[in-house]
Amino acid sequence: MEDYLKALPTFVDRIRKIREIIISNIVLVGQVPAPTFQERRRAECLVERLSEFNTDECVIDDHGNPVGVIRGTVKEKGAIFIVAHLDTFSELETDQHYEVTDKIISGVGVSDNSAAVGVLASLPEILRQLDLVFESDIVLVAPVQCLGRGNLRGMRRLLRAWPGPIRGAICLESVELGRLNYYSSAMIRGVINCSIAAEKQLGRHHMPNAILVINEVINAILGLRLPQKPRTQIVIGKISGGFNHGKIAYDAMIGFEIRSDSDEMVRELYSDIHDIVDGINKSFAVEIKLDRISNLNATQLRHNHPLVKCASRILRRLEVEAVCDPSETALSIFLQNGIPAITIGLTQGENFHQDGAMIEIEPMVKGIAQIPALLMAMDKGACDE
Amino acid sequence: MNEKWIDTNTFHHSEFKDIGRLVAAKNEKKLSISLCLPTLNEERTIAKEIVIMKSELMTRYPLLDEIVVIDSGSTDDTRKIARSYDVTVYQADDILPQMERFKGKGENLWKALYVTRGDIIIYIDADIKNIHHRFAYGLLGPLLLGDRIRFTKAFYDRPIAIGQNKLRPTGGGRVTELVTRPLFSMFMPDMTQFLQPLSGEYAGYRSIFEKIPFHIGYGVETGMLIDIHRKWGLDVMAQVDLDRRVHKNQDTKALGRMAFVIIKTFLNRMETLERMRIQQQIHDEMIQYQLVRNRLKPENHLLEQHERPPMIEIPEYRQKFSRTTAGEKASL
Repeated sequence: MEDYLKALPTFVDRIRKIREIIISNIVLVGQVPAPTFQERRRAECLVERLSEFNTDECVIDDHGNPVGVIRGTVKEKGAIFIVAHLDTFSELETDQHYEVTDKIISGVGVSDNSAAVGVLASLPEILRQLDLVFESDIVLVAPVQCLGRGNLRGMRRLLRAWPGPIRGAICLESVELGRLNYYSSAMIRGVINCSIAAEKQLGRHHMPNAILVINEVINAILGLRLPQKPRTQIVIGKISGGFNHGKIAYDAMIGFEIRSDSDEMVRELYSDIHDIVDGINKSFAVEIKLDRISNLNATQLRHNHPLVKCASRILRRLEVEAVCDPSETALSIFLQNGIPAITIGLTQGENFHQDGAMIEIEPMVKGIAQIPALLMAMDKGACDE
Repeated sequence: MNEKWIDTNTFHHSEFKDIGRLVAAKNEKKLSISLCLPTLNEERTIAKEIVIMKSELMTRYPLLDEIVVIDSGSTDDTRKIARSYDVTVYQADDILPQMERFKGKGENLWKALYVTRGDIIIYIDADIKNIHHRFAYGLLGPLLLGDRIRFTKAFYDRPIAIGQNKLRPTGGGRVTELVTRPLFSMFMPDMTQFLQPLSGEYAGYRSIFEKIPFHIGYGVETGMLIDIHRKWGLDVMAQVDLDRRVHKNQDTKALGRMAFVIIKTFLNRMETLERMRIQQQIHDEMIQYQLVRNRLKPENHLLEQHERPPMIEIPEYRQKFSRTTAGEKASL
């Protein structure tokens, strides 16, 4: 059996012994709000924590990404990245307070992605406790501006500016344990906003209802023919509009995502939706706008790539079932740049993006144990084909 | 009034954030430190306090030697959760069980003196939502880095939680401003320099705490300040700015009951110090009114004054800590 697999039970035991440090980091970093584009305070907090744990180099880069480097023993070896996106969907700007019990940690954003950021902050100490030293530099990054309109900007810019070679990357997501992503679908996320012009609100003309107009858009999108191959899907995942029960709605919006195995198919469908919006604009004489929020290209690591195989073996050894789905995380940016990368989940949780978001503490021990095991494998060349 | 005290004896927690320096000072002085968390139904906050203190001030830096939870009989999972993080948990009633039993925070603090082993004891309320290890190292700093200070008291901005994720940035400390500060201004102006005399976080040498009585309820902080001031003077006392403390809000009626007990404790001390003579009996009941079906109905709350004697007067304590005399002169 490979060394990294043999070491897993010891890793699990030792990580459990320092669980207070890990929970503290999750709480202390996670309680600092970090809505996309407003991550500065959390970035400073993370860099301070990394520095307190004697990380060799800690810095906030020119793009606002907090970065910590654990120096390796062989200068010529490329770096291995560990990444957990810093921003959360929360729009809170005041401090939030997490609750901890014997079993769970709960609070806004903990499952996306504050727990993973807290684990990232703990890694220098975890690796020290496990007596692990690597040939490669281990680069700990919590990129900013990843979610929504951020469109993974922090990660894209960091990679563009990174001076040296990169051997591989592990992207961390708080949930779910067992998650093993090694490919991403082509994707475009968009928003369609419909608003009724002010003069129509005053009743000078027949007044259209923004919700009904948006309904027309939805029906038209549902009428689009989607191929079975390449696999393609349009998800209408957000909707809002109107003011109250008895008033004609002045505005309405939907958020949608086009996903496909093919970049070309996503582009074509986006163009179709653009045509739908143009058509409805003309027939209803309302202001209706299509806005692209983010996009990704389809990328993938082979399912039998050594890194994927290592990650699968680690999960099996931990007795966790692997679940392989496409991912829209920083993974795709690495793969697009030809860098082998995977995304793993750290624990189980509930109420992903809601007020009652929570993660479980005990499964996290196994989730974290994946990281040193993967680092051992990657440092010994699992990514170097 | 000693107006200089507020300048010389007021600190900010950031002055002590070099925890390694505190640990070195502690080792040089050969001291041990106990953290006591008094609890009553704190299942929502206790684990976070333990985890952060243990992680930052025991595992990473050996500043604290033990964390002890003293519980007043919680009916929720407070004790179970605390035990799951490997700290020592006591029910207050199980400590010195041969003595008459009382319920209250002061009772827990007093009994902590018997079960903890530290030369320095730090008390931190268990309901703090924004707990951070500065609450402990900030209070310990003046005690460890100098030889003059023997007791430290916290002060802070006190936003109060008014709902999920909502904070009111001013307020809190209402009993301080409406009751304690006026009383101190009238009778003990020196003490007005304590910005938050009722704060629930303080630290001090065992040699101080064991020689003062402990009020068992809300009066514990007021009584403690007056007693330390009386025995050793202001110079051994200090206050530390801990920035921000977010805690549960209490309704006005509850604050009224708190004020009742604090006034009683204060008057009791004034009589003991022979600064005031009260010529009538002071009642033990606080009477509040509530509207029930358009009629005002009185609610009588019995708020008895109970006080524990200085711990050094308890034979079991003297035996356990090899103290020889109970009535020794106030020494540090």
